[in-house]
Amino acid sequence: MVSPIGVPVDLVVVGAPARPGWGTVLGRFVRRKPLGAIGGAIMVVMLLTAVLAPWLQTHDPIATEAAYTLGRPNAEHWLGTDHLGRDIYSRIVHGAWASLVVGVGSTLLGSVLGGIIGLLSAYVGGKTDLITQRLLDILQGLPLLVLALVMSASLGPSIRNVIIAISIPIIPRASRVIRASVLSIREMQYIEAARALGVRHLRTAFRHILPNTVGPFIVLCTAQLGSAILVEATLSFLGMGIPEPYPSWGRMLSVSAAEYAQKAPHLVLFPGIAISLAVFGSNLLGDALRDTLDPRLRGSR
Amino acid sequence: MSRRRATISFVVVSLALVIAFGTPAISQTPKAGGTLNITQREDLPQGFAIHETSTISTVWPAMPCLNNLVLFDPLKKTESLDTIIGELAEKWSWQDNYRNLVFFLRKGVKWHDGQPFTSKDVKYTFDMLREAPDAPAKLRINPRKDWYTNVQTIEAPDPHTVIFHLKRPQPSLLMMLASGYTPVYAAHVPPANYRTACIGTGPFKLKEWRKGEFVEYVKNPDYFVKGRPYLDGLKYIVIAERGTRTAALQSGAVDVAFPGETTKTAAEQLKKAVPELAVTPYSQNVNDNIIMNMKKPPFNNAKVRLAVSRAIDRRALVQAVHQGGAVVGASMAPKPHGFWGLLDRDLNALPGYGKPADEKPRAKQLLAEAGVTPQNPLKVEMVTRAIAVYVDMASFVINELKQIGIEASLKQIETAQWHATATRGDYQIGANLTGIGPDDPDANYFENYACGSPRNYSFYCDEQVMKMIEQQSQELDPKKRFAQVAALQKKLEDDAARPLLDWKLDYFVRRPFVKNLIPHQSIYNFGRMQEVWRDK
Amino acid sequence: MKSYVAQRLGIAILTLVGMSIVIFTLLRLAPGDIVDILFSTAGYVNESEKQAILKELGMDRPYWIQYLDWVRQILTGDLGKSYRYDVPAWDVIRPLVPVTIELAVLSIIVAVVLGVPTGVISAVRQDTALDYVLRVFSLAGLSMPSFWLGMVIILGMVSWLGWIPPLTYVRPTDNFKAHAIQFALPALAVGYRSSALIMRITRSSLLEVMREDYIRTAWAKGQAGRVVIWRHALKNAILPVVTVIGIEFAFLIGGLVVTETVFNLPGVARFLVQAILWRDYPIVQNLVMFIAIVVIFSNLFVDMLYGVLDPRVRYG
Repeated sequence: MVSPIGVPVDLVVVGAPARPGWGTVLGRFVRRKPLGAIGGAIMVVMLLTAVLAPWLQTHDPIATEAAYTLGRPNAEHWLGTDHLGRDIYSRIVHGAWASLVVGVGSTLLGSVLGGIIGLLSAYVGGKTDLITQRLLDILQGLPLLVLALVMSASLGPSIRNVIIAISIPIIPRASRVIRASVLSIREMQYIEAARALGVRHLRTAFRHILPNTVGPFIVLCTAQLGSAILVEATLSFLGMGIPEPYPSWGRMLSVSAAEYAQKAPHLVLFPGIAISLAVFGSNLLGDALRDTLDPRLRGSR
Repeated sequence: MSRRRATISFVVVSLALVIAFGTPAISQTPKAGGTLNITQREDLPQGFAIHETSTISTVWPAMPCLNNLVLFDPLKKTESLDTIIGELAEKWSWQDNYRNLVFFLRKGVKWHDGQPFTSKDVKYTFDMLREAPDAPAKLRINPRKDWYTNVQTIEAPDPHTVIFHLKRPQPSLLMMLASGYTPVYAAHVPPANYRTACIGTGPFKLKEWRKGEFVEYVKNPDYFVKGRPYLDGLKYIVIAERGTRTAALQSGAVDVAFPGETTKTAAEQLKKAVPELAVTPYSQNVNDNIIMNMKKPPFNNAKVRLAVSRAIDRRALVQAVHQGGAVVGASMAPKPHGFWGLLDRDLNALPGYGKPADEKPRAKQLLAEAGVTPQNPLKVEMVTRAIAVYVDMASFVINELKQIGIEASLKQIETAQWHATATRGDYQIGANLTGIGPDDPDANYFENYACGSPRNYSFYCDEQVMKMIEQQSQELDPKKRFAQVAALQKKLEDDAARPLLDWKLDYFVRRPFVKNLIPHQSIYNFGRMQEVWRDK
Repeated sequence: MKSYVAQRLGIAILTLVGMSIVIFTLLRLAPGDIVDILFSTAGYVNESEKQAILKELGMDRPYWIQYLDWVRQILTGDLGKSYRYDVPAWDVIRPLVPVTIELAVLSIIVAVVLGVPTGVISAVRQDTALDYVLRVFSLAGLSMPSFWLGMVIILGMVSWLGWIPPLTYVRPTDNFKAHAIQFALPALAVGYRSSALIMRITRSSLLEVMREDYIRTAWAKGQAGRVVIWRHALKNAILPVVTVIGIEFAFLIGGLVVTETVFNLPGVARFLVQAILWRDYPIVQNLVMFIAIVVIFSNLFVDMLYGVLDPRVRYG
């Protein structure tokens, strides 16, 4: 627009605040929380590795090569080979897929189920709320690993069962967070207003309360993801996690790594580094997200 | 040269030769004293109750406390009827054309609690094992009951004589009595007590079993062999983690490995790190085999079974799955390890032992004859135990079967379910592992191939084969028996009853100062520790 | 206050009952039982022998009777007999408890000694390079699988020192030096991980307190910085830390399981895994209930402590 004196001017519209685009939000995040950005980058790399695994691999991860066992990293096998001659790099790449599927799967399953339970329990309130919380207390009273161990033993070895086994301990924790969040929102004025206006319950719940729990939910998910990946690795290490033939970082460490570690230390180093990186990334990202999305929770669990 | 000179030269040379080669294998004098730390792979499953389990995890740490009637000579590496020596029995003899076995027991032997050992203990033990109708005690679990089906009665006419009356001649009975699986229990101790403590007559007395940690023995000062044992004590240390086991061997925290637990690659690595370690490869009497349910299609068809057997390249499996730490052989452990192994030319003539380029097309042809074609493919489910080494083996076999047109998927079964699944016949094809106590056809064939035997997981039942098994069991002429067993091995592989893939080797690792601990061609028979001594 | 305690206690007991039902059921859902495993060590299966053993162990009775029997046993202080070892469960568990407790206590000590000072430094020097380094260091501890850390430690020792820590439990009375070495390494491995959480909580709670008005007032009044921090901020920041230490004790169990396995320490946690694998119901049930009781009552205790220490929170 051109002003009367011929100098171009920018029209500023008063009233509605300009919504920043995604690029700006991301840029702001990277600048303010560099650690979180690094964490996010690690997670993205892991995700891409998992999804693109079949294309990123250099060898078939389950093909054995008797002639070349316990080989050091070289041009053909970037991270060396294990005691059966399998390429470690390819197994780590596929392990990303297994760990992410289980980690994300169990976190989502547990968080969504727990979130729904927490949401409904908090919204309905009263005796139902009390009973539900006590029932969930029962689940939460058992240490994460012990519960996952027993569940895994009960269900038997399979990826689906491992996901279920790890998601169960997450449900009470997720429910607790979402419930707290819902309880605090419920009292807010505009909910009262909506109800006064006669908006139906479910509608209130899903349309008004739910979007405000997204923040804590995301924080919860990223926090649990790291611990889910660790629990999966531990279960696999103890022999009760992802079964053969899926390569699993935890199992790569248990079966023979330590036995051959003198000759081939890379057997122990690489899977462990992979697990640590994945959990590290998700923790960094989770911390940063928590700081950004929900300042009230800053620094607490 | 003159006659006198020739004689003197001859004598001198002979003497030299005798001195150089004639001195016995034990060139050093054993020293008494010292203790040994021995690896134990897991905590004892049923304590010291050897008669109630079959696992080496019980037999290995329990053997020092007990004695058999007879035992395979610990110092002779290849076991056979000729290497059997007496333990609680001083002398024995076959009577009535191998129908009665008379044992003359040692006198003055005492149990660890001071009670005297008599023939009553022997009769008690074996009546219990064979589940005689008037047996005074019963075993809760009795895995080797079938070893004694041929025993009619057991007589103890006086405190130092026992007579086994057999239904028919069976020279192999001695082999089974000489195995580590066959100790004598005390008649005054309920069999359940052996699950928590050990009252035996053996060279070592149990000092303490700290559950999950170790088993500790001290020397039995009243042992009936004077001057034995050489060692003052033994300690079996429980180390459940493979990596920690290897680290323990390497650092010297343990002196002796656990039998059957050291692969070729691990042994090579240990030897490289600690060159003075003594590594002895030997066959464990454990084999990999394929079981196929003959009660249901498709494996009730002999052609399909034979095709499976032909498809598997055994030598490639040995390399791929065991990194060379195994040998090929038929249903008895192969030479030079086993006594009954087929000669090479017979072995190579068996189905599946030829060149893969020849075998696989023949397998495909067999399948075609059975009606399996690319239009009508065969899809099966292979089961195996949910343990890494089994899964590796099964994966290899699945790959081989794929190349002849059989699509197999892998299902892993938990250890606790495995035997039940296999015994029930709840499977089509499986990758299996079989361990056999002594290297003896009777111990092997009655258990694994006889009609109706619970461990005959394939439900294989062939009248002619049963006749052959019974015949060799009663054959007294060793040469004839060897030929009969060879014929039996050929027939079983031709029938693809339970195609044998390989016999596993173990690489027994010990510190060089551990003397007289010689692995035999069966892991279950050399754990007595009576002759073992320390050179440092 | 009394009714509050009584109410919490009542809820705790109800929760424990619920847990007992859950663990009882879960265990029996698992495929295979002790008898299957016993037969698998014998290499065969026989139905009639199996039934006889089930009867001997009392496992052939209906589930609800077995459950009530178990409850009755616990209430009378009888922990039952281990299915695997055929001896009273308490006899097997008793020697293991001191090992795990010692390891847990040492790990917490390491965690506090490592976590609190680093948390304080990190908070005081917030957003400096040192802060970032410390946060990354502690986060790395949180991210590493503790069994991997243990493995790397052992393998490192074997490679460089040709030596591994003692493989069987050394009593402190027998050889204190060996005992100390035996526990130092696993305590470090577990403690490092716990220290991360403690460090983060210390840091964040200290940061929050430092922002409070009265701290700023004290600063404005010109009291020496360090005195301000130590006297006012830390005293109030310690509360959440104590809470976390209490909660962390329970979370330790996971780390203890793998650490005891890797370092070959004969503790309760390692034994629990073995018991689960062996379907040794009496042992698993009693151990899990024991852990649950410890967790619930330690939470209760921490809540009480919170109520006592912080007047603002006294009313539940």
